[in-house]
Amino acid sequence: MTLWIDVSCILVVFLALSVLATNRIVGMIKIFAVQSFILSFVPLFLHADAVSGRDITLSLVTMVLKAILVPAILFWQIRHISMRSEIKPLIGLGTSILFGAVLIAVAFWVSLSLRLPGKLLSSLVLPCSLATMLLGFMTMVTRTRAITQVLGYMVIENGIFLFALSLFDAMPVLIEMGILLDIFVAVLIMAIVLNHINEEFERTGGSAGRSKTGETV
Amino acid sequence: MSSLLNVTFPVLAHWMIVCLLSPFFLGVIARVKAFFSGKAGPPVLQPYFDLARLFRKKCVYSSTATWVFRAAPVIILAAMMALSLLVPFGICKAPVQFSGDILLAVYLLALGRFFMILAALDTGSSFEGMGASREAFFSCLSELALFMNFITLALLTRSISLARMIGADVPIVWGGMEPTLLLAVASLFIVLLAENRRIPVDDPETHLELTMIHEVMILDHSGVDLAYLLYASALKLFIFFGILVSIIVPVRTGYPVTDTAIFLGGMLGLAALVGIVESSMARLRLNRVRLLLLISFALAFFGLIVTLWRA
Amino acid sequence: MDKILFGSWPVPFGEFSLKLDPLSLVFLIAVTILAVCAGAYGFGYMRPYQGKKPLGVHAFFYLLLALVLVLIVTANNVILFLSAWELMTISTFFLIIFNDEQPPVRKAGFIYLIASHCATFFLFLMFFLMSRAAGSMAFDVMARTTFPPLLAGTIFLLSLAGFGVKAGFFPVHVWLPHAHPASPSHISALLSGIAIKMGVYGICRVLCIMKVLPVWCGYVLLMIGVVSGIMGVLYALGQHELKKLLAYHSIENIGIITLGLGAGLLGMSYQAPFLAVLGFGGGLLHVLNHSLFKSLLFLGAGSVIQETHTGEMDHMGGLAKALPLTGVLFLVGALSICGLPLFNGFISEFIIYFGLFQGLLGLPVHGVIICALGILSLGLMGALASACFCKVYGTVFLGKPRAGSSHSPEGMPERPTAQEGVCREGTSKWMLVPMAALAAACVLIGLVPRTVTGLTFLGAACMAHVDLATIQTEQVLVPLTMVIRVAFLFLALICVLITVRRLLLGRASVPIRETWGCGFAGVSSRFQYTSSSFARLIVELMKTVLLFRRHGGQVTGAFPEKTRMDSSVHDASEEMAYRPGLDFLNDVSKKLGHGRIRHTQVYLMYILLFLIFLLVWKMK
Repeated sequence: MTLWIDVSCILVVFLALSVLATNRIVGMIKIFAVQSFILSFVPLFLHADAVSGRDITLSLVTMVLKAILVPAILFWQIRHISMRSEIKPLIGLGTSILFGAVLIAVAFWVSLSLRLPGKLLSSLVLPCSLATMLLGFMTMVTRTRAITQVLGYMVIENGIFLFALSLFDAMPVLIEMGILLDIFVAVLIMAIVLNHINEEFERTGGSAGRSKTGETV
Repeated sequence: MSSLLNVTFPVLAHWMIVCLLSPFFLGVIARVKAFFSGKAGPPVLQPYFDLARLFRKKCVYSSTATWVFRAAPVIILAAMMALSLLVPFGICKAPVQFSGDILLAVYLLALGRFFMILAALDTGSSFEGMGASREAFFSCLSELALFMNFITLALLTRSISLARMIGADVPIVWGGMEPTLLLAVASLFIVLLAENRRIPVDDPETHLELTMIHEVMILDHSGVDLAYLLYASALKLFIFFGILVSIIVPVRTGYPVTDTAIFLGGMLGLAALVGIVESSMARLRLNRVRLLLLISFALAFFGLIVTLWRA
Repeated sequence: MDKILFGSWPVPFGEFSLKLDPLSLVFLIAVTILAVCAGAYGFGYMRPYQGKKPLGVHAFFYLLLALVLVLIVTANNVILFLSAWELMTISTFFLIIFNDEQPPVRKAGFIYLIASHCATFFLFLMFFLMSRAAGSMAFDVMARTTFPPLLAGTIFLLSLAGFGVKAGFFPVHVWLPHAHPASPSHISALLSGIAIKMGVYGICRVLCIMKVLPVWCGYVLLMIGVVSGIMGVLYALGQHELKKLLAYHSIENIGIITLGLGAGLLGMSYQAPFLAVLGFGGGLLHVLNHSLFKSLLFLGAGSVIQETHTGEMDHMGGLAKALPLTGVLFLVGALSICGLPLFNGFISEFIIYFGLFQGLLGLPVHGVIICALGILSLGLMGALASACFCKVYGTVFLGKPRAGSSHSPEGMPERPTAQEGVCREGTSKWMLVPMAALAAACVLIGLVPRTVTGLTFLGAACMAHVDLATIQTEQVLVPLTMVIRVAFLFLALICVLITVRRLLLGRASVPIRETWGCGFAGVSSRFQYTSSSFARLIVELMKTVLLFRRHGGQVTGAFPEKTRMDSSVHDASEEMAYRPGLDFLNDVSKKLGHGRIRHTQVYLMYILLFLIFLLVWKMK
């Protein structure tokens, strides 16, 4: 079962890198959905011998929330505010990819010296979750749109979720559910707030007051 | 005398197999693409007919061109044939194997590319110069990704001979190293598409567009020369297929017939995959191709990190 | 052939003695081959200047340079080494400023002189530390001394600063791209072929003397190699001027050599003698190879410049028709420098790669990472170099001549039309034969590498302080033999394919038509891709590193007016470090000069005070 966890970890990091390397919002949301979908299978691999009902529930809830509901809200959002593509990231996509590769290396390097209380299921979980968080952060740093900030935040959250899953047995399920609910509320609030902001400005950040030409597609 | 025969026979047999089979997969890809666009498509053997027709035709040369233009097709085809000796295909072991032969493989590719670009520049045509410039640019990036993958594979298999690195003689065991291999295979697949100038990178179907790379470079070649070039690109595709299939399908039953069937099945599957990719994607914008190759590099880099982490 | 000590004679600081060990021998061979070939070429190349310039002076400094180069590689004494070193700087300076009536040439000469002297300062410091620790000025005595790690590290860094300038390591390479285009071609060949290798020799000698260095030194050396190599080739891609481009390629190749040396040093630090011998051996072989093919390329560039009276590549084209023999020889040089199989560049790069792969599979994890970096950057350098030489060969020798102004960058007078000893293509035999000899050497090493590997491995063993007999060099030589076999098979294949083509085409004459203009009739030769447009994609990708600047070229409106566009690549280290630094120094010294000191007497007083200080200091 470690095998499948490893594969999922790698895919999650790769998809986080892809989010960083995409400049179309639709593509980013889709990639995020796929990432969450993969992540939702991880609880099933947690206990090699017997899959308990708790695992299945967690998996299902994750899938519904993160792989279906959140992307759906985000899609609804962009249809609502009619902006389909990121105009321009702050740094070029090529540079972003290279930076992303460096960040992955940093994550692995840092995790060399991290010691955890519990025993991890797979040695890859810690560096991969760290890398996902860093890549999500990088996405937030390089993008200007509010919605891409949300996406970056969600990628970070996926990294945290991966990490939390690996300590699943040490953690009561209530906390897990709490985390999920948290995100859900966060996204909902953000969606509403953004929606209102967008009636005033087309984007967040310091350049909000500047010319709005060329912003709508 | 018999020892000489022992050396030459595997080489000749290898060439025979490679040369006979390689155009077939171009036909398969074309067929898959035709299927997805709802057409009957050309027969699978069409590349053979094309080659046969071109071999019968005479050449026309440009008045600008020098001997480099005439020499290039010969050198490119010879380089690909020499390269094919280093690559195992299924139960056909690579006739030439030694420690460090991947370097020879990469540099033979580079030699072919060098003359391809020179021949394009030799015609003095602006279109061909454009193609040459792009070829030079993209090959830099794909070579980087290729080297990255070779480093990972060398670390995994503790060997620097191509045949061993891709698990032809001692099959690579996926169990235990699958995340790394997954990344390496994905990265190598992108390199395959880029090096053979398949669709997300370049469109092999169109002619005379400002957007092309390989096809535009051979605009002025004709007759036998063009046949040589087509053969060389078929060989290149075949070689890359062989490398990838050796990694992906490490199944060795020990029965020659079954092994050959498995290997050929893998090759056909890969050809079908390339066909599907080509029918489902559009050619990327030129600055996007760069990103694709960088992603391939990042994948390979990630693979290396994971390998180091697990070591 | 361990050591041959020559007779010695007493002088104030110890005794002068000469020594020949395998390490010196590698460099000595390069020096002799190059001095002869470039000299013979110069004989033909300088003929148009006869009676207009003092050629005797030029020849004197040339011979002096050849002599001191031999002295440098065989000196066994610090004083002798440094005197020869300074003589080399001075004679090279006079050779560079041959066309001293042109301001850029004078400027290039002065940059060279200043850079060299700044570097020599570090050398003085380094040799001072070394001889103090060893208690002798002789290299062989030093080699028997053990240096404490801290001192060894300091000496290593000083040697990098001192010899690095001469070798042209990336941030301190400023003089190189100026001096090469300014000097006559055979001098550029000698400069690039061997004068910069003296820096490498110095570092090799220091490594050889130090024996045990801290582990970080290997990493530093390898990183310097990586940076110099990649930056060198990237800058080369951005150049428009043929000889400047070749100068930047020298930086790249010095990078490759340093990479090899760094790998060797890593092998020594981690007690991996095989890696050490491979790294050092590959580096030394590349020293030899680079001096062969780079001088071949510079000599070829000289012939091209003599034909076209310009070094601007974007004005050339189609020279393979005017200079067919030079074209072929230049192609041999280009294929060698790209490290393609059949030629000598491949052999040395193969050995370095092989060493790095050994390190990859054998060293601890930090070593693995740096070796992976080395392999990657070597691969990238190879790919970029072949892109660059495609650009050079494609724009200079192939295609059609691009119309352009013809002015001489070197002040080259028009060549007299009829001359004795001039062959079909108009290049003098004196110029073709040395190039042919160099090209033959490139192919010989490429096809029969064992002619030189024995020697370079001996040199490497000497540097690594191991007995070559204990190292299984066959492990790399056998793969090399296989490479050569494939190469011969490749040649046979070419013959077969050509025969097949002949048979298929028959005897009928081949029709010759215009290049297909894609249906456009008014094609002119100005439509061709130029060297700048060929390299644009790569250069623009790297524009932040390369300081790529582009002016004009914007087409606006339905009926655009005539417009012009120019692009150039500027050296980042020059623009961002040296110029601001120089301006700052200028400001400071101006202020000092104006504010404080007006009278000579004040200076004299300073000198007096300093003298008293020294006396007091020594009294204690």
